[in-house]
Amino acid sequence: MNAPVKAPVIGSDLKRRDAVDKLRGRTRFTVDRVQPAMLHAALCRANLPAARILRIDTRAARAMPGVRAIVTAADAPGLYGVGIADHPLFASGEVRFNGEPLAAVAAETLAQARAAAAAIEVELEPLPAVLTMADALAPGAPLVHRDWQSYEELVPGGTRGGNVAWEASVVRGDTEAAFARDDVTVVESCFRAGRQNQVAMEPRACLVSFEDGRFLIETSTQAPWSVRAATARLLGVPPSQVRVTVPAVGGGFGLKFEFALEPFAALLARAAGRPVRLANSRQDEMLTSLSRENAEIRIRSAVTADGEIVGREAVVLMDCGAYGGEQPFLTTMTAHTLGGNYRLGSVKLASRAVYTHTPPTGAFRACNGTYNTFALERHTDEICAAIGMNPVDFRRRNVIGDGSLGSTGQVFEGDVLGPMLDRMKILRDASAERRARRDSRTPDGRLPDGRLYGCATVVGTWFVFVGPSAANVNLNPDGSATLVTSGVEIGSGSMMQALPQIVADSLGIRPEDVVVRAADTDSAGYDVGVGGGRTTVSLGVAGAAACAEVRTKLLKIAGDMLEAAVEDLELGDGHVSVVGVPGMRVSIADVAQRAQAVTGPISGSGAFTGPGTAAMPGCAAGHMIEALDLPVFAVHDVEVAVDPQTGHVEVLAYRVVQDVGRAINPRAIRNQVQGGVVQGLGYALHEEVGIGPDGRILQDGLETYRLPLARDVVPVEIDLYEGAPSLGPLGAKGAGEIPILNVAAAVGCAVAGATGRRVQEIPLTPPRVLALLDGSADLTLDHIADTWSDNLLPGSRPL
Amino acid sequence: MPLEIVVNGEARTVAADPMTPLAEVLRDSLSLTGTKLACEEGFCGSCTVLLDDRPAMACLIPVALAAGRRVRTVESLAPADAALSPLQAAMESHDAVQCGMCFPGMLMSLTALFERQPAPSRAEILAALDGNICRCTGYERIVEAALSLGGETAAEISA
Repeated sequence: MNAPVKAPVIGSDLKRRDAVDKLRGRTRFTVDRVQPAMLHAALCRANLPAARILRIDTRAARAMPGVRAIVTAADAPGLYGVGIADHPLFASGEVRFNGEPLAAVAAETLAQARAAAAAIEVELEPLPAVLTMADALAPGAPLVHRDWQSYEELVPGGTRGGNVAWEASVVRGDTEAAFARDDVTVVESCFRAGRQNQVAMEPRACLVSFEDGRFLIETSTQAPWSVRAATARLLGVPPSQVRVTVPAVGGGFGLKFEFALEPFAALLARAAGRPVRLANSRQDEMLTSLSRENAEIRIRSAVTADGEIVGREAVVLMDCGAYGGEQPFLTTMTAHTLGGNYRLGSVKLASRAVYTHTPPTGAFRACNGTYNTFALERHTDEICAAIGMNPVDFRRRNVIGDGSLGSTGQVFEGDVLGPMLDRMKILRDASAERRARRDSRTPDGRLPDGRLYGCATVVGTWFVFVGPSAANVNLNPDGSATLVTSGVEIGSGSMMQALPQIVADSLGIRPEDVVVRAADTDSAGYDVGVGGGRTTVSLGVAGAAACAEVRTKLLKIAGDMLEAAVEDLELGDGHVSVVGVPGMRVSIADVAQRAQAVTGPISGSGAFTGPGTAAMPGCAAGHMIEALDLPVFAVHDVEVAVDPQTGHVEVLAYRVVQDVGRAINPRAIRNQVQGGVVQGLGYALHEEVGIGPDGRILQDGLETYRLPLARDVVPVEIDLYEGAPSLGPLGAKGAGEIPILNVAAAVGCAVAGATGRRVQEIPLTPPRVLALLDGSADLTLDHIADTWSDNLLPGSRPL
Repeated sequence: MPLEIVVNGEARTVAADPMTPLAEVLRDSLSLTGTKLACEEGFCGSCTVLLDDRPAMACLIPVALAAGRRVRTVESLAPADAALSPLQAAMESHDAVQCGMCFPGMLMSLTALFERQPAPSRAEILAALDGNICRCTGYERIVEAALSLGGETAAEISA
């Protein structure tokens, strides 16, 4: 215990404490867990996208062998939502998407539960469905929520109406005047991006019991406090009656940022008086996962001959599916993603979450950012082509720097993107392979094997989703410390590496002497959840604040023990030492034991929330985040080869310069970059979600939903950019979310370069690439009006 | 109907319908939950076990087809308190693991490769991983860790 610390803890490639059990196959994820007397559950789902429920009869199902409980809409009165409470647990009165739950069954075996769920008699009367955003926005379209006006608004400020679940807008400056100038080139572009399924390898699953009047939920989630609140709300019980604990989570990527199956299992556990396990099959996950939303973007810019962007207008449509979920919140991000990267003289942005009769969408790593960055960077390249400027020079000239105004008028701090572009140039130019490839090109730009060569460098703006976090640190009598938070280890390593490193550094002990308590809403304070790149920052600051309290108490007692002034003491090597007096020291364990007699055990508590950076008053309407408290930037560079015969796009090389503030664990960050880039390649190239005429997702398994495989990917060359301003612990920023941000942008721009065609849509599947090469017609979005203000709902604030 | 299968070197008798997927028997009857079920359709590879030394998708194999054959699961690589196998140790020291769901299958596919070919090339490692999906890592650290066991060195690859 308390052996000397050999190297600085911060900046070291600390290994993961959970790796060995994961490699031995011993880690028990939620899907691996069982309890005595446990029942198995299954859901009965609707098979139409829009319908009136005429009858749900569970009598026959209840009489089937092994059935212990069946619950329906009558058992779950509440409505859930992030911005608007529009979402019942079970379809009630009306079905709004194919796959919507109608009833849940618990039985002795899974087969019995499934058989009973299938035996529930359901009579539905089909209603006209709107399956696309164009359909949903058409005049006279059927409303997905006819009683939308009656819903409780959980966050004020959004404009809503009909099939528009939420509208957020930005107005800064006079774009009409900018577009009317006679010295500008006007460039307009349309883009479309598909859905992306998170495909966490561990499906959503939970195991719930009802004990002493409380629901005890063990679940695979990123946000235990959200599960607690949503379950209570849907069931109509006080949140304090719900306890959520979280074992190791087998991947999240945003999928597990909202409640999932927990309320169904909770109802069944209470009804049956037995623990209930409910887990999705892969097919359930493919059909009902809260995928990244599909989106449509129309953007136009007025740019001077020397490359100044004097005006920009854009409309973004985000498909939230049948219920709002995260999308009302995510409309906020358009201001910072599509409205990011560049200095703009004037700007108007509208971001609209649109209801359709399709499965609800949700959060996925760099939510909203991936397609808006794709659109923005492709649009930027179209601007460069129109005014005849080199795309890298244009970016270097226009990127946000110290003192630049963001779209909502916030003032950015520090020159970050510019120097990062310079670093990318160094990384790119250092590549002998790149030089060889470029030198090998034929006069018409092909590689010697006949494939078309393309490359691109793109920039991206993202942020850390700061927000409330609580942490407690207990100093134990053996000199170890226990960090108690509601943080969850979803695979990224934040809870296994960065957080113990931060605590260890603060207390002068080894990371292995920091115990990290697994999330339990009964033992740790509130936390927004693991997502938005926030864990290291928010829990790190809260944890460091808790450590500061521990230090103060520790040093006071140590000062008495050493007969030294507190300001002469330092912590390190598991000891408190008197500075400059070798040998004058006492072990932290001895101090902690002494504390038991003097003050009682030492502990500290810390808290964090975003500071609330100011936007320009009046610029943003309907935004849940008006300005970025902690921006994060990325520069990506890609080289691709496009096979003109097959339409296959091969990624030849990929490079990333990422703003990390300060790298607490550089190797762990690099691993996040490699993994995030590969997810982005899937999004850009072949992960495709289609919706059939019956509103059902077409890709219902991993045979048809094509994920990146080992042979699809390249080692990403990575340069971690340190030193940008950050309010994070020790200057750190979140590193796990942003790696996916720019990938579709980079690939889209490179494929456009290789083919000489307008890339307007992702994923760039071989058929889509072949259509491009065949000169397919330009994508137009007629349901987005030509005049920007015509896209806003009546009742939006006057312009 | 009782069936006898040899799991991790030990003869086990299981009472299961012959069509029960082997993975289900391993997990539910023998408590060997290291074998993961992530798709149950044979596409993700997280249930990969070795059946008579060859990788097999335990989600698709009816337990009756494993009768009398040798089944090895991830738990066999470092039984009880034994040290990690060299492959597992390389994964740990390269910090390859993230969420960990795919690793049991990855390890079994690569174990079969290393038993056939102690010094595989990068291309052979990638080919061995064709049936194993990882959603977290982007594969590269897994490949590097496998290469560190005696295949080509990183320098040779990039040359």
